[in-house]
Amino acid sequence: MMKIQVLFGTESGNAEVAAEDLAESVRNDSQEVEVQDLSSFSISELQHDSMYVFLCSTYGEGDLPNTALPFYADLSVVRPDLSGMRYAMFGLGDTFYTETYGHGATKLDDKLTELGAQRVGEIGRYDASTWEPVGECAVAWFAGVLEDVSAVR
Amino acid sequence: MDTPLSIAVIGSGPSGCYIAQSLRRSFPQSEITIYDRLASPFGLVRYGVAPDHQSTKSIQSQFARLFERENVRFAGNIEVGRDISLDQLRNTHHIVVLAAGLPGDRPVGVPGEDLPEVYRAGRLTRLFNAHPLEQTGVPKLGKSVAIIGGGNVSIDVLRMLIKQPEDFVNSDIDDAVLADYVRAPAGRIDLICRSTITNAPSDPVMLAELGRIQGVRFSCPDPIEVAEGAPRTALARAKAVEGLLAIDPGTETRVEVALHFGWAPVSINGDGHVRNVELRSVNDDRRNLHLDADSVVTAVGFDFDDGDWHGLGALKANLESGAMDHGLYRTGWIKRGSRGTIAENRSCAKAVAEEIVASVDALQRQTKPGYGGLPDEVRARAVDYSAWKRVDAAETEAAPGDRSRRKFPSHEHMVAIAHNKLVQTSAGTGAN
Ligand SMILES: Cc1cc2nc3c(=O)[nH]c(=O)nc-3n(C[C@H](O)[C@H](O)[C@H](O)COP(=O)(O)OP(=O)(O)OC[C@H]3O[C@@H](n4cnc5c(N)ncnc54)[C@H](O)[C@@H]3O)c2cc1C
Ligand SMILES: Cc1cc2nc3c(=O)[nH]c(=O)nc-3n(C[C@H](O)[C@H](O)[C@H](O)COP(=O)(O)O)c2cc1C
Repeated sequence: MMKIQVLFGTESGNAEVAAEDLAESVRNDSQEVEVQDLSSFSISELQHDSMYVFLCSTYGEGDLPNTALPFYADLSVVRPDLSGMRYAMFGLGDTFYTETYGHGATKLDDKLTELGAQRVGEIGRYDASTWEPVGECAVAWFAGVLEDVSAVR
Repeated sequence: MDTPLSIAVIGSGPSGCYIAQSLRRSFPQSEITIYDRLASPFGLVRYGVAPDHQSTKSIQSQFARLFERENVRFAGNIEVGRDISLDQLRNTHHIVVLAAGLPGDRPVGVPGEDLPEVYRAGRLTRLFNAHPLEQTGVPKLGKSVAIIGGGNVSIDVLRMLIKQPEDFVNSDIDDAVLADYVRAPAGRIDLICRSTITNAPSDPVMLAELGRIQGVRFSCPDPIEVAEGAPRTALARAKAVEGLLAIDPGTETRVEVALHFGWAPVSINGDGHVRNVELRSVNDDRRNLHLDADSVVTAVGFDFDDGDWHGLGALKANLESGAMDHGLYRTGWIKRGSRGTIAENRSCAKAVAEEIVASVDALQRQTKPGYGGLPDEVRARAVDYSAWKRVDAAETEAAPGDRSRRKFPSHEHMVAIAHNKLVQTSAGTGAN
């Protein structure tokens, strides 16, 4: 069984809530799982035999949240070879921001792909305009991703 | 040291909720109570954030988890300083965190500010949000309104005043207040921002959003181009203003909005009533402007009052430390001043929580009973979370079809519903 690492980038805390709910649902399936804030995670910790789940919101003009910026900057500067690494991506945003809806996660996704990592499943989306509980949304999305993973293997 | 740690948080706005979140993580076994003078939790998320920005208000569902799943107690309808003293709380809890925000609008500091038609933004935003402790009745705004201030709150006010009732679909605006206003809406509004477009304190999306409202003609007599290489936000802001100027509602024009950048108010003039506002150009020596206005709304931030804050003396902003005394801390606006978004209160709360964690061993030597140690009559008046949920349900039920909820503008009414003391009437009637 592979270890699942849940990493979140947030400003107002929704991504953290989603990360915790997602981790709890995975733990209930007795998977090994760890949750970390991207602001306290270094790119040197990235491992090839883990499965990463990123949850990331959007701020400014379609930018990553402050807490995820150092991680993103390190990826851009150091450009580690991430081939072999697998990850899933969940984006939080708000359709009120029509032109930049969910761009934070898309940017992070593009960067990871560019460095050779392989995304499993579709990018999940949460729209704050809906008032849907963000945790439930993330858990439902990830269940689908896990099905994709087991279908591939 | 086997006594469980008891924690009191004063104020259930974003700062109070975020600090409770952090402290719950650090001290899973502790007893945490969030006190608020209102019967409802969430502070300015409920009563500041504009009623037509429901997605911003949706952060409430994150905070609700504290009370629903994380064993944090809500004790509404308890005002520190009236129902209970700060000392009483400090004597019964190991840790007290002030998260009471800043209620008082900052004055602009110009002559004429005391004329009767000069209103503070806080009053208007509370009115539109049905704040239960705000005096009701829309103030007389007249045909032309000058809004002093260029931040997001001033744009909130502008937006409220130029929208039509049908633009508030799915909001929780106070419809009685809105109806009052649309009986005699403003036909001209001047927004006066001290900074240039480059440095203005508003979010570009907030400006751009104004362009979605029908029947508004925008003008801006000041230069709108920003220097090349200006920060991205400045470019986006200029683009947003350009977009507004390109709109031509023609004969459908209901309201004219003039945006002024780089002008500071000198005085508000009038003989017993507001007549005009005099402005001075901040960056060059253009002649002073006189803008005619029937009323003025000031939106230049919120401030500490100079009085004695519950025996602590006059508070001042402190950006470094949340610690005020043994076991006493503060976070959010009451720590930093009225700066920043909801999200910024999260990092603030995290930092203060770290300070608390670092000093907790020294705090826990005495036994302190926490909430249970408060006088019976105080606990009897408290609105707990399940009581608040009754109000929440009643508000949702009372909402007309095109509104998300109908907030009750009377504190007593809310408390009566919370305590199940209201003679049940059919939904909506007799609610005020
Ligand atoms: C009009 C307006 C619109 C805004 N819009 C946005 C927006 O769209 N997006 C955004 O990110 N930010 C917005 N903000 C900023 C945001 O609201 C603040 O950053 C945030 O609310 C500050 O949180 P706080 O918890 O420090 O204070 P508050 O939210 O003010 O909470 C303080 C709480 O303490 C309680 N309290 C006060 N005194 C006592 C007492 N003596 N005893 C018991 N309880 C007490 C109050 O009832 C209140 O519930 C807006 C602010 C305003 C004023
Ligand atoms: C100032 C600000 C700017 C935002 N900009 C965007 C944006 O450009 N695109 C988007 O999809 N969402 C945007 N959002 C919405 C947030 O991404 C959304 O509220 C999300 O749920 C926040 O998640 P978090 O709590 O994990 O930070 C913005 C929110 C704020 C307050």
